[in-house]
Amino acid sequence: MRTITIKFKGGLHKAIVMCSSIIVGIAGLLPLGAQALPAFARQTGQNCVACHAGGQFPELTPYGRMFKMTGYTIGARNVPLSVMGVASYAEVANTSKSDNPPSDFQKNGAPIFATGSIFIAGKVTDNIGVFSQTTYDNYASQSDNGVFHSHTNADNMDFRYADRLINENRDVIFGVSLNNNPSVSDPWNTAAAWMQYVPVPSPSSYQFVDGNAPYPGFGAGGNLAGVSAYMFWNKMVYAEIGTYRTANQILSFMSEGINDASTTKLQGANNPYWRLALSHEWGPNNIMVGTSGMIAHVYDGGSDISDPNNLGRFKNVGIDAQYQYILDPHTVTAQLAYMRQKTDYSANTLAGASPYFLADGVTPVAPYNASDTSNILRAKLSYIYQAKYGGSLSFFNSTGTTNTLNQSSGFDSNGQITSLDPLGTGISSTRVTGNLSGNPATRGLTYEAFWMPVQYARVGVQYTAYNKFNGASNNYDGLGRNARDNNTLFFYVWGAY
Amino acid sequence: MKTVTFVGMGLALLGVAGCANTERSRTLNNPDVPVKVTAQQVCSNCHGIDGNSISPNFPKLAGQQEAYFIAQLKGFRSHGRSDPEGFEYMWGISHNLTDEQIKGLAAYFAQQTPTPNPPVHAERISAGKEIFEKGIPSQNVPACEVCHGPQGKGNATFPRIADQHADYIIKQLQVFKKTEERPEGVAMKQVTHALTDENMQAVAAYLNSMPVPVK
Repeated sequence: MRTITIKFKGGLHKAIVMCSSIIVGIAGLLPLGAQALPAFARQTGQNCVACHAGGQFPELTPYGRMFKMTGYTIGARNVPLSVMGVASYAEVANTSKSDNPPSDFQKNGAPIFATGSIFIAGKVTDNIGVFSQTTYDNYASQSDNGVFHSHTNADNMDFRYADRLINENRDVIFGVSLNNNPSVSDPWNTAAAWMQYVPVPSPSSYQFVDGNAPYPGFGAGGNLAGVSAYMFWNKMVYAEIGTYRTANQILSFMSEGINDASTTKLQGANNPYWRLALSHEWGPNNIMVGTSGMIAHVYDGGSDISDPNNLGRFKNVGIDAQYQYILDPHTVTAQLAYMRQKTDYSANTLAGASPYFLADGVTPVAPYNASDTSNILRAKLSYIYQAKYGGSLSFFNSTGTTNTLNQSSGFDSNGQITSLDPLGTGISSTRVTGNLSGNPATRGLTYEAFWMPVQYARVGVQYTAYNKFNGASNNYDGLGRNARDNNTLFFYVWGAY
Repeated sequence: MKTVTFVGMGLALLGVAGCANTERSRTLNNPDVPVKVTAQQVCSNCHGIDGNSISPNFPKLAGQQEAYFIAQLKGFRSHGRSDPEGFEYMWGISHNLTDEQIKGLAAYFAQQTPTPNPPVHAERISAGKEIFEKGIPSQNVPACEVCHGPQGKGNATFPRIADQHADYIIKQLQVFKKTEERPEGVAMKQVTHALTDENMQAVAAYLNSMPVPVK
């Protein structure tokens, strides 16, 4: 059994001082109103725990799901604005096995103000409501002189029309969602867009925090533009079907702030998304078992979309389940999500050749496979007491096919392991993210404890421990870095108003 | 699907944006929304469309005494009732309700038929029945039925407690005993003073199991 040793550097003291200041600052906002809550809470006049299980935003209670499915329209129209901010601190277990530690572990052991968001969220009419997030990243990029630059761009957006036909014999909620992220419209928190929710800071010392560890998701990613129709029948069957396209032209606001080369480009609008879930409530318990999927035709990032040889394809099929027990003062949630993804690479991607050789330095590695299949599993158990004190344990396991296309370290023509790109073909290859095997297998656990001193602030600490990374437990990059070297301590203070 | 479809969808959304839909509204600050609509579109989310809630976090309202119901909603609205589940959920819901709406909601739920609960702790029922019918004379705890009626149906501002969720009963008995969060229920403070946790669990199990009385 391995002993986990957590070392704190001097930065933690600073982090605690800064985070304490933020908590005091948030608490100072309290006198502004008896119902000093974010936008939705101001609209309904209710506390966070009404919609969020144990107050653990954004995980929804059965009532919170109804609020969402009925289009955020319960309550009285209010000023639909909220803000949120995250301060954080991270330490990676081993920062020495790196070609360039200052680059690979930016802000390691240093407290930072990481990110903030502005929300436009609330009821518009009896049938229309909005959830729209724009996010500021304080560390979006770094110039050669080491100076960080901030950036702001569109984040999750969900504009919806909903109606509900309910009487003694039937209850049908139905609606349409215009959104920019497949499954952001979903009311359950095992959906790809919602299972991971703690905002992940950008500096590279956060590259191994739980939010960057494998989570079931859709290959196409976010900042797309899609429309979906959904219905929830007798609180039992949820069905949703939609399709996505590039967030450009009149829908470019859904990828606002993301430059053209970085915007995900889909072929046409025939990129279907679907979701089916069965739900049941009994006593203080509720359970959901569901499935979802998407087929997306995606052009290679920054490529010429007039060239069909730049077109790849993702096919995702997932199953998920969630159980909640909510009876004051206890909240228990068990989540399970599994996603299978088949990736068909573009012709131009496959036209390239690997820069790596076998250990003899002469024989090229095997040609690229035209497609890959990956499987990601997440299981999480959380408990919250009095909507204040909580903890969770999360297991992740990513497996998949081996492909030399995914290698980002290997042998050069001298038979030497290199973390550089020996042929200068543009492969981004560093020791820390190197993948010698070409296999994505990554596995580990995340332990989390959190405290919510006031209902719209959370202080949390996560420790993510890896026993496999990029296909191996030991020496995954060929240069001696082991999976456990990536273990990361992550401390955050998250507040909203 | 072409761009025009997306644009059309957007325009369609805008087109209906100006329309009020009071027959299926979830708006809580518009007295024109019929109370039945509010009961079905909003209250039902927690309390069930017929007042028979599933989760014991939320009380069953079916067959509840109108006077009691009205007093509670007004208590939430004025923040006079401040037990945690009350203010977390109900202060906001009741904030803009008019007296007329409250009266209408009371009538709606009073007319609903309570349904039996899943059984809990059958072994506690006989002890609970004893307390319900006879109280605990040695502790000066009066019988529940004195005020709430022999069938637990309640009377005016004395609530119906028959077939209420056991967990909800226990929670409220604790609120009465340990806090000042329900000043309108001051009579219950004296009643609950000598009740032990076991007494509460017993009486709650009995109430949870009470046969549904015919109105």
